[in-house]
Amino acid sequence: MLRRGSVVRRTIATPIILSALILALAIFTVWSGSRPFNQTVIDVLLRVMLVVGLYIFIGNSGVLSFGHIGFTCLGAYAAAWLTMPPMMKGMMLPGLPGWLIATKLPYWVAAPIAATFAAVFAWLFGLVLMRLSGIAASIATFAMLAMINKIYSNWSSVTGATSSVVGIPIVRDLWPYVIAAILCIVIAWAHAISRAGLKLRAARDEPVAAQASGIDIPRERLVAFVVSGWVTGLAGALFAHSLGVVTPDTFYLAMTFMALSMLVVGGMSSLSGAVLGVLVLSLLIQLLRGLERGVDMGGVALKIPNGLQEIALGVIMIAILMFRPSGMMGNRELVWPRARRRRAADAAPRSSTNTQPTGVHR
Amino acid sequence: MSLLSLSNVTVRYGRLTAVRGVSFTMAEGEVLFVTGPNGAGKSSLLRAVAGVVAPAGGRIDLADHDITGRSPETIARLGLSMVPEGREVFGSLSVEENLLVGTGMHAGTRGWRARCETDLAAVYATFPILKDRRRSQAGLLSGGQQQMLVIGRALMTNPRLMAIDEPSLGLAPNIIDQVYDRLTELRRHRALALLIVEQSSTRAMMVGGRMMLMRGGEILLDGDARALGQSEAMQSAYFGYGEH
Repeated sequence: MLRRGSVVRRTIATPIILSALILALAIFTVWSGSRPFNQTVIDVLLRVMLVVGLYIFIGNSGVLSFGHIGFTCLGAYAAAWLTMPPMMKGMMLPGLPGWLIATKLPYWVAAPIAATFAAVFAWLFGLVLMRLSGIAASIATFAMLAMINKIYSNWSSVTGATSSVVGIPIVRDLWPYVIAAILCIVIAWAHAISRAGLKLRAARDEPVAAQASGIDIPRERLVAFVVSGWVTGLAGALFAHSLGVVTPDTFYLAMTFMALSMLVVGGMSSLSGAVLGVLVLSLLIQLLRGLERGVDMGGVALKIPNGLQEIALGVIMIAILMFRPSGMMGNRELVWPRARRRRAADAAPRSSTNTQPTGVHR
Repeated sequence: MSLLSLSNVTVRYGRLTAVRGVSFTMAEGEVLFVTGPNGAGKSSLLRAVAGVVAPAGGRIDLADHDITGRSPETIARLGLSMVPEGREVFGSLSVEENLLVGTGMHAGTRGWRARCETDLAAVYATFPILKDRRRSQAGLLSGGQQQMLVIGRALMTNPRLMAIDEPSLGLAPNIIDQVYDRLTELRRHRALALLIVEQSSTRAMMVGGRMMLMRGGEILLDGDARALGQSEAMQSAYFGYGEH
């Protein structure tokens, strides 16, 4: 858009700070040298990708989507198809076309292809879904998730139905996940400051005025839907490589709930909120998991019932929605401390008469 | 040739008819006030012209294009810019982003970038306060500033006709004066036609131009604002006594 340079300068701090956070976490992990911790951090990075992907669509459009985990499923299975040994594919998934069975790509080539596969489906679904608004759109995305899940749970010759697809090359190295997570953050930032992102946020704030300004709302939503479909699809592909096993139900309600609660807690319309929501809630989940296993405290075993983890997430989400509906970040982004002061001074001579309650700070 | 022409336009919301077979034309550069009491169908008429609601019947033409039932963004591209009621600024965007977001529809055409800069400079010249606050969040502006911002935003699309819904709603009288000063100035400099919905006819009488009085979804009176404002017909039509 116009004055591209100045927009980049004013907003570049956000992706830099967030990437630095991710890098710091990664360096700490490598330094600690702990295998289980390494796996935990890989999970965190995958969630960062998922939630950032959700943010691209939900944050900018204001339309809640329950369906993006469907793209994660598409990405994960596509990665499996492209990277499993041909022999195993021939036995487990005989319905795949011959050329696909014969293909075996390295994971880092397969992952972007798998993400693009998910993005193509996001485009196809989006052509229909983006014409809807508000609650109708949200419910339609949920229907999309259910459809994808049902197809993948039943098409046994192609997806192995509900049985696990095994033999996907496992990637235990941390750095590919770090790079992918930072890539997703940069994509989200680039989309947010692009003309498409600007128009979409205008449409989120005031749909009628946006249309009157010549903004084609379904089109801008579709752009964000496809970009976020790509990012959540990439997360799915890497998810498959982090475990080596996929089943359709891995990518269903539990994952949707977790990703959405992280986005809500962090702040739905803030990229920084998306990343921080993941980091904070992941820490909490880790603590609760430890407690579910039981901790020995001076001879007294402290153990909480299984499932309390999900309940705690739910309680936190409700509390945030009640007391701080715009999330931890309150629609703001992380910026350099000096820039924040300058911006605050800029906004200082405000009038008390007509301030809007939401979506004000960005 | 007329800039805007409506023939027999009807707007319905379910079983409620808000506008009943309205016809009128507007010339290039004309100022037309639509006044009338609450529920007269003024805003519905404006929304139908801008494409926000599809008319249930009739035909609307904008500069030789049939725009009946077209989408608002298409109509905006054809040169009609609507300023919706209630000063709908894009609250989370900065003032400058608010101004620039609507210019994208001409993106890619030759000289678009340069024209954007010129238009932006012109809007800032008309509303200097917007230039001072250009980096601020639009949602933090005062009511009067927001009204100027939405008018500035509408100007950025280079319209031939600007349709404004109740620009004085909820503003202090001296701010309303400022807004109207700017509007008349714009009209003089740009040959911009203005279609303004206002509940009270006093403003129309002060500014001058043409005035239509609506009541019950129909146009009762149509004529020079100053002449009409003093007539008795106006009084009785507005308040609905007499034989009406």
